[in-house]
Amino acid sequence: MSMYQVKPVCGGDMKVDLPTCMYTLPNVHAQQGGGCGDHALQNGEVDPALKALEARQDEIMRKLYELKAAVDGLAKTVTTPDADLDATTLSQSPAAAAFTGTADLDSLLGKDLGALRDIVINANPASPPLSLLVLHGLLCQRYRVLSSVHVHSSVSSVPPQLLSCLGPRHTESYTRHRFQLGFTLIWKDVPKLQMKFNTQSMCSIEGEANVARFLFRLLAADPQDAVTATQVDSWVDMAMFQLAEGGSKEQAAVLRSLNSALGRSPWLLGQELTLADIVCACCLLRAGQAASPPANVHRWLQSCRNLGHFDCVYPLLQ
Amino acid sequence: MNLQCVVLQSDCNNCGGILIQYESAAGLCPSAGTVLWRRLRNSVYGCSWRRCSCLFVCLSVCVAFCSNGVEPSSRPAADRTLVRVQELTPHRGGQLVWVRARIHTSRAKGKQCFLVLRQQQFNVQALVAVGDRASKQMVKFAANITKESIVDVEAVVQTVEQKIESCSQQDVELHIERIFVISQAEPRLPLQLEDAVRPETEGEEEGRATVNQDTKLDNRVIDLRTTTSQAIFRLQSGVCQLFRDTLINKGFVEIQTPKIISAASEGGANVFTVSYFKTSAYLAQSPQLYKQMCICADFDKVFCVGPVFRAEDSNTHRHLTEFVGLDIEMAFNYHYHEVIDSITDTMVQIFKGLRDHFQTEIQTVGKQYPSEPFKFLEPTLRLEYREAVAMLRAAGVEMGDEEDLSTPNEKLLGRLVKEKYDTDFYVLDKYPLAVRPFYTMPDPNNPKYSNSYDMFMRGEEILSGAQRVHDAQLLTERALHHGIDLEKIKAYIDSFRYGAPPHAGGGIGLERVTMLYLGLHNVRQTSMFPRDPKRLTP
Repeated sequence: MSMYQVKPVCGGDMKVDLPTCMYTLPNVHAQQGGGCGDHALQNGEVDPALKALEARQDEIMRKLYELKAAVDGLAKTVTTPDADLDATTLSQSPAAAAFTGTADLDSLLGKDLGALRDIVINANPASPPLSLLVLHGLLCQRYRVLSSVHVHSSVSSVPPQLLSCLGPRHTESYTRHRFQLGFTLIWKDVPKLQMKFNTQSMCSIEGEANVARFLFRLLAADPQDAVTATQVDSWVDMAMFQLAEGGSKEQAAVLRSLNSALGRSPWLLGQELTLADIVCACCLLRAGQAASPPANVHRWLQSCRNLGHFDCVYPLLQ
Repeated sequence: MNLQCVVLQSDCNNCGGILIQYESAAGLCPSAGTVLWRRLRNSVYGCSWRRCSCLFVCLSVCVAFCSNGVEPSSRPAADRTLVRVQELTPHRGGQLVWVRARIHTSRAKGKQCFLVLRQQQFNVQALVAVGDRASKQMVKFAANITKESIVDVEAVVQTVEQKIESCSQQDVELHIERIFVISQAEPRLPLQLEDAVRPETEGEEEGRATVNQDTKLDNRVIDLRTTTSQAIFRLQSGVCQLFRDTLINKGFVEIQTPKIISAASEGGANVFTVSYFKTSAYLAQSPQLYKQMCICADFDKVFCVGPVFRAEDSNTHRHLTEFVGLDIEMAFNYHYHEVIDSITDTMVQIFKGLRDHFQTEIQTVGKQYPSEPFKFLEPTLRLEYREAVAMLRAAGVEMGDEEDLSTPNEKLLGRLVKEKYDTDFYVLDKYPLAVRPFYTMPDPNNPKYSNSYDMFMRGEEILSGAQRVHDAQLLTERALHHGIDLEKIKAYIDSFRYGAPPHAGGGIGLERVTMLYLGLHNVRQTSMFPRDPKRLTP
């Protein structure tokens, strides 16, 4: 006999109107005593079917990543316009076009007297010359260059990225005379960037634009016609004076003219990379205007980046 | 004489006069030339003041005076702390302090006497004026104290509105209440310190006297008191300390090598001979042999600081017969450039330490010997010998490929490097083999050149170093090639027969480095008691 009986408060099977707007979950209570016991897994073992599934998934993801990387690479080569510097115009006779470059240096810089032809650049660590670093990278591809970075006693210390801006030390720096060209960068407290090459016959060259012109002449000849040459000079000066040192209005004006020029051709002056592109891109990056540039300028900056010569510049922008 | 006084004793033991105590400071009897001065208590005793119009000084207890008195005895200092002149700044304004210094100059004007008190590099103006603390006799006494005497003064530090340009402590002045003479100087000094500090050009322009170098060196004790000399030798001490500290931090061991040796180390006739019991011995020209033996003895990296004796009969601005050599020797792993890098890094650390911590001294020397500040690059510039030859040829000098650099060529090269790279310190690597000593290792890639290097400061050579030949057989060949008697260097060659690591090193002269760093023109200015073919004393 039961103690006392309580009448059921609510009827046994209640029909509950489940809402259909949300998602349904299986009934937790109906599962009790169900399949858990049959498939009890000990010690963290994973169901072999699950493992196979995971392995397939990983495989698919890996293939997807590889595909993505391949497509990216293709996209870069397709969208970046041709950027080979035309060096065939450098020497007079076409047969000598495949020369190693020492003869070119002899004609450009004067006869080699047995000493390393050392280009010395004195720069202020407060404003690193980005275009010269890009040109250094291009020079290294063309000639055997011995690069070194020094800190002058007028400066007490420089941040470490400035000390390694010319890349790792060359393994053969023991023998200076085996190199064709020397590139010595000295961080010094100077008001204006200065370059010294041959103190007996040349005075020092001042200003980043002028040094960039000098270095570019070692890579490719000046454009043959006067119009293009003037346009290159005009862009370089515009970049150095208005973009780097101008107010925000001037910078905006330069951006607009860059945008319109780049709408017509992949590089600033037609189908080839010139000094104007290098200097303008560096000044733009340093002025910080690269954050939200107009569409053509943005495309052009991407192409510059894809070239690989500008990789040395990005660590210095922070 | 009208003075406040108190009669203490009616007869002085020595001369029978009256002993009187005065309120004010001590005095000096010019007639008592042999009075012994010593630390005084705060009372003055006079005697027979009717006979001579000045005051005598006496110890407080005994009454000896005016003749060869009692032997000086050290007495415990009363409750006095001496303040350094360097610390006399406006924040001590109004304080009563005791100062011990030398009388640099004194100038009396009626009721006042201006003194300049000097202590090493610092000096301060002091004033004795007739008033309630000082009598007219005291002012006269102060004016008569000879220059360079050491005095103790008790004075009040007063701030001044107008800066006193001629003193190092420009914002304060001392108003003297008591003054005592501790050690008196003779009235006639062999040279005047102001003349010794005057720059040459100022002396010529204004017709004032300057002191020439020989006089300065003959009276070195007084010349060393000048602010310039103090600054130079403090900086030299800094060079030595930075050298030691940098090398110890790099893991070097300091060694001491013998200076009496049995055979001339570098070869040549420039050695001093000393009699050694029944035979004779030589004074070491350089610690080279012993440094190398230490490397063969597994010390790996050594340095030593010690005297070097060279019997060269050259009377130039940069040669001494005895100087302090700072020598380094190091075993390397793969290339002797590791040693060059280590040595140049040590030099750069020394230059940086001097630039950062010794600016006062550099400025002080610059007042008398103005020069350009010393510039250097980090890492140090390293040029090859053939580059230097090319640079000199471009500048119009004719020289052969394997010719050594003459002194004018070195100076010209220094100027060319300074023009192009703006550095006063650089290394010249790969000298021709023909001009180097027999123990230099030849260049494996080119037999005409050698693994040797020189370092230059302001166009003058300061270090000559090389990779040493560490193979006994090759060493013998090289010695024979140079025509050296093998018997004399047998011990040297033997030290390489039992396993010797490849090593290199070099040595600098302390005096020459200090001279070139400061831009001075004669190495005798940086050597405390210099020795040259014509000078053996002081």
